[in-house]
Amino acid sequence: MNGRDDEFLKSLLAAFRGEAAEHWQAISAGLLELERSPAPEVVERVYREAHSLKGAARAVSQTEIETVCQALESAFAGWKRQEWQPVPASFDTLHRATDLIQQLVEAPGSIDPGRVTQMKSDIETLCLLAPRAPAPEHVEPVMPATHGGETIRVATRKLDGLMLQAEEMLAVKLAVNQRAGDLRELRTQFNEQLRAEAPDPHQLRVLEAKLQTLSRVAEHDNHTIGRMVDDLLEGSKQLLMLPCATFLNVLPKLVRDLCRDQAKEAELVVHGGEVEIDKRILEEMKDPLIHLVRNCVDHGVEKPAERARLGKPARATITVSVTQVDGNKVELAVSDDGAGVAVEHVKAAAVKHGLVSAADARQLDEPAALALMFLSGVSTTPIITKISGRGLGLAIVREKAENLGGRVAVQTQAGKGTTFRILLPLTLATFRGTLVQAAGQTFVIPTTNVERVGRVRVAEIKTVENNETIAMDGKTVALVRLAPVLELPANSALTDEPVWLTFVVVTAGEKRIAFGVEAVLRAQEVLVKSLRKPLVRVRNIAGATVLGSGAVVLILNVADLLQSATKVRLVVKGAPARAVERKVVLVVEDSITSRMLLKNILESAGYRVRTAVDGLDALSQLKTEPVDGVVSDVQMPRLDGFNLTEKIRADRKLAELPVVLVTALGTQEDRERGVEVGANAYIVKSSFDQSNLLEALRRLV
Amino acid sequence: MTEDQQRILKARAQALAQEPVAQATEAMIEVVEFSLATERYAIEISFVREVFPFKELTPVPCTPPFYTGIVNVRGRLIPVVDLKKFFDLPANGLQDLHKVIILHSAEMDLGILADDVGGVRSVSVSQLQAALPTLSGIGQEYLRGVTGDRLVVLDAERILGDPKIVVHEEIEK
Repeated sequence: MNGRDDEFLKSLLAAFRGEAAEHWQAISAGLLELERSPAPEVVERVYREAHSLKGAARAVSQTEIETVCQALESAFAGWKRQEWQPVPASFDTLHRATDLIQQLVEAPGSIDPGRVTQMKSDIETLCLLAPRAPAPEHVEPVMPATHGGETIRVATRKLDGLMLQAEEMLAVKLAVNQRAGDLRELRTQFNEQLRAEAPDPHQLRVLEAKLQTLSRVAEHDNHTIGRMVDDLLEGSKQLLMLPCATFLNVLPKLVRDLCRDQAKEAELVVHGGEVEIDKRILEEMKDPLIHLVRNCVDHGVEKPAERARLGKPARATITVSVTQVDGNKVELAVSDDGAGVAVEHVKAAAVKHGLVSAADARQLDEPAALALMFLSGVSTTPIITKISGRGLGLAIVREKAENLGGRVAVQTQAGKGTTFRILLPLTLATFRGTLVQAAGQTFVIPTTNVERVGRVRVAEIKTVENNETIAMDGKTVALVRLAPVLELPANSALTDEPVWLTFVVVTAGEKRIAFGVEAVLRAQEVLVKSLRKPLVRVRNIAGATVLGSGAVVLILNVADLLQSATKVRLVVKGAPARAVERKVVLVVEDSITSRMLLKNILESAGYRVRTAVDGLDALSQLKTEPVDGVVSDVQMPRLDGFNLTEKIRADRKLAELPVVLVTALGTQEDRERGVEVGANAYIVKSSFDQSNLLEALRRLV
Repeated sequence: MTEDQQRILKARAQALAQEPVAQATEAMIEVVEFSLATERYAIEISFVREVFPFKELTPVPCTPPFYTGIVNVRGRLIPVVDLKKFFDLPANGLQDLHKVIILHSAEMDLGILADDVGGVRSVSVSQLQAALPTLSGIGQEYLRGVTGDRLVVLDAERILGDPKIVVHEEIEK
């Protein structure tokens, strides 16, 4: 089947992308090494990498990548045989070739084929002094038959350990089976005694002893199984732990390229590449780390001449170190021995952007002033480079770190350098969550983002510019009800506005909002499970967790919530939740085309639409699910529009419901009949355009 | 009986005798039958991972209305879709939903709600006829076809591959 072929090809390409990334990264790392000190074994390594990548590219018909790799392979082969010697400029060409491969891998089709041809001839020029080496005939590497999707490398020892633990579970299965059998037998024997005319006291004592033994064994099982499950879980978490080196290896090239662009000199020193961190944290921290390193080169490191004038070595040192602290935390430090950050400049920039008043700024001590750097909009550089200079970078770094439950700090000394420290949790898997209730449903808010919980007298809620606010420690905090933010109707069980409102103050970055909830239940450890495709990303939802009771509870995405909350406008105090609810209209129409058409029109106008196929269907739906209005056709099987209207008017609960009849019957009689049965509006299809209907609904509903 | 008649009957008998061979070469698909409100549907068994009786379903806010929620299937959280809403069918008749049929493809697992799940049967592909829209109300694109006895065979591949089933939303800034 064609679709299957496509799917297969897609998964094949995904596997190739994963494999290709490993190869070009290895080539790039090898080139950096060779630049420092040419070693034959490294030449051999990059040669092999280029060769393998060429084979893989050929297998999936990526001819452009194949072409570049072919050229690289020949160049490396020539170098290996000492047919040519690299000069510093050769490395630039080779690095550019690696970059091109990366682009071809990551965004195939977006590269001008001319660049590939140009690159090929550039590489060939490198070894022009010698005849081109023939492509060596090796056995082509076999494409691994993996399915699509992300893959990670796991040390075999970890898998072995996990397999052993999983095997131990067999013992649990057998034991539980045995216990179940024992209990069955006990029950049979006990039943026998119950049925006997005179129970045998001796036998009863035997049974009691058996029961005691069994209960003791069960206690023991409980203990052992608990430990085994914990171990297995811990072992599984370990699979997601990757050494930091996997993401630190992009940095040497980054520093090299940045320095070349800016005519600066810097050496990158990396410590702690072996520290293992949860893969998901690593991925989240990649961009912030790149940003910090870029900052070092852009703002920290001075030009060599300037450094010489200051009596510093011309070559600056940028250090990236990863250290494990307290067993479950890790510190990521990025430092340079450059110019440092001028506190006065930060204050000036913050004042300029209106983030603090000039008077306040003067009062700030150094740490407080430096903290201003993390506010968005504050940048001390006048020049905008790729990322840094726009004043957004550090705000993003802080937001990312805080989303992961981490913290950011900065130290600086004028003329000596700057150090950024990010303290992160080692693993994401479990965290403390605060369980709250909204619209009758339970949700988890990560406790790190919960500043406090409390309750406020409803009478003390003040409306400022149509938004509710509460006073807290003398400050005004915006108040938003959680249910409408999550697009849920307010809990109908709570019809009367209570005297007290419970709230949770949620913070992230610079934002802080109090969310009104029905109840705050408790705080507890939760194990995060992310939602998977097809629910790739649901707004306001970060994932889910399974409580001890087996119930599934959703974990809220704090960053999204704060964003969504600002969009929910509360119009009138006293009816806060209803203002954002969309009106529900029931469309009754037997023709599927007209039904879809009406549904579409009404939905575009902002209504929620339910549909019914005829009057009878409509009536049964109205009895179970209330709506705000009915739009109905007249001629329908089973129960027509006139009769439906009549029945609605006759029903005590539905009598007031607005009914709009839409029909092809345009005679005076029909119109009168419509009025007679109690329709609120009668729209003839021949004159039917959207505005008529929408206008009628607007007036009625 | 005339000779002609006898000859015809004989030919027929021979044709009938051939049938098993003919049937073996005919393309058959195995389907799982299930009911939703008053209607009977079926879905190809190769897409069915399992049938799961559920007690609790957690609604997920901010998803399209056809998503009923997620269920916990032995630690895996599986999103569940109400096909009636997915197909924009009116919800007529009382529904007694308590089973989830878990469909799978290389990319995802997806549950669909069912009132009751019947047995497995074989359906001959050639006997599937294009469904009349009035019969099922479901768009042609989601159907494999309808059998002679009005069993509506859904196209699981199309449902799982429908872009509208995927929720991938960022908050608008």
